[in-house]
Amino acid sequence: MIFIAILIGCILGAILGLNAPMISYTYSSYLAIAIIAALDSVFGGIASVVKKNFDLKIFISGFFGNAILAILLTILGQKLNVDIYLAAIVVFVWRMFMNLGTIRRYYVEKWSDIIKEKTAKQEKKKNNENDEKNIG
Amino acid sequence: MKKGKIAMTITIGIACFALVTVMMMQFKVVNETDITAIEEMQETELKTELASWKTRYEEIDEQYQEVTQRIEEYKNDEVSNNEASQLVQEELEQTNTLLGLTDVYGEGIIITLKSGKDITPITADDLLIMVNALKFAGAEAISINDERIVNTTDIVYITSGSFIKVNGQRILEPYVIKVIGNQSHMESAVTGTGGKVDELLTLGHVATIEKDNDITIGKYNGEIETKYIQ
Repeated sequence: MIFIAILIGCILGAILGLNAPMISYTYSSYLAIAIIAALDSVFGGIASVVKKNFDLKIFISGFFGNAILAILLTILGQKLNVDIYLAAIVVFVWRMFMNLGTIRRYYVEKWSDIIKEKTAKQEKKKNNENDEKNIG
Repeated sequence: MKKGKIAMTITIGIACFALVTVMMMQFKVVNETDITAIEEMQETELKTELASWKTRYEEIDEQYQEVTQRIEEYKNDEVSNNEASQLVQEELEQTNTLLGLTDVYGEGIIITLKSGKDITPITADDLLIMVNALKFAGAEAISINDERIVNTTDIVYITSGSFIKVNGQRILEPYVIKVIGNQSHMESAVTGTGGKVDELLTLGHVATIEKDNDITIGKYNGEIETKYIQ
């Protein structure tokens, strides 16, 4: 269910984004850092869904708050002549990997459980058949 | 399905939508600006690049100014050199003319002398006196039988062969003296009382004076050598 929502969102976003007007190159560095922040938030949201502790308020506030904070930090960094956005990117990417790890672990465990169940069932079946044969 | 789950799904969908929209916009911008390497650079990089170009421009401009100045100097030098060489050339020509090392043209008179029969022939002294008189009258160029009278010219009588030598060259009668100078001055220098031509005429020699507006006097053919002048 959640993946369908993500897919639809992505497709619609791509269509709108490709038809959107060009933005000035001056703002593209801010936009880039905002994208990283938003990406991190989305992965965090998915991870929290997976972990079943998703909170709408936290997700929305994180989505916008992180992006805005990242942009502000970048502006501040430019004013101070320090590349603060690098730190922001490091943090966001690190968190992205953490969240991805959570998601991955969840699905790996889930699928391995399913496979285990299947094999257990098959073994049960075989055992039953063997039992029947033995009986027979 | 729970209400919370639907809201969650929609929220994440919208978040993805917003994210991908902005991402696509950014891709477009990056693609568009990726055309040239300059636009790919950060503003700071561009600034430093610009600064370095500026300094380079300034350096090259300085060099250019220097070179232009040098060219100007060379030009000036050349002009002054030209002037100097022109002056030297003129001076040389004038000197050569005065020395008799060039052919000269101009108005003047031609005196032709021939010794009379049965009397002492015209001597070197006669010629010398005549040349001297002509010089005194302001003659600018003189030649006797096409021997140019120059600084070193000798006019001597060789007793053994009884002939006259001018510039070391034997000359024979008739003596043709070409003179460039003011015609009337030249003429009066050799005619009248004390004039050599009249004197010779009275002695019985043959002498004629001819005025000519275009006399050519050839250059001195010998070499002027100096051994002792230091």
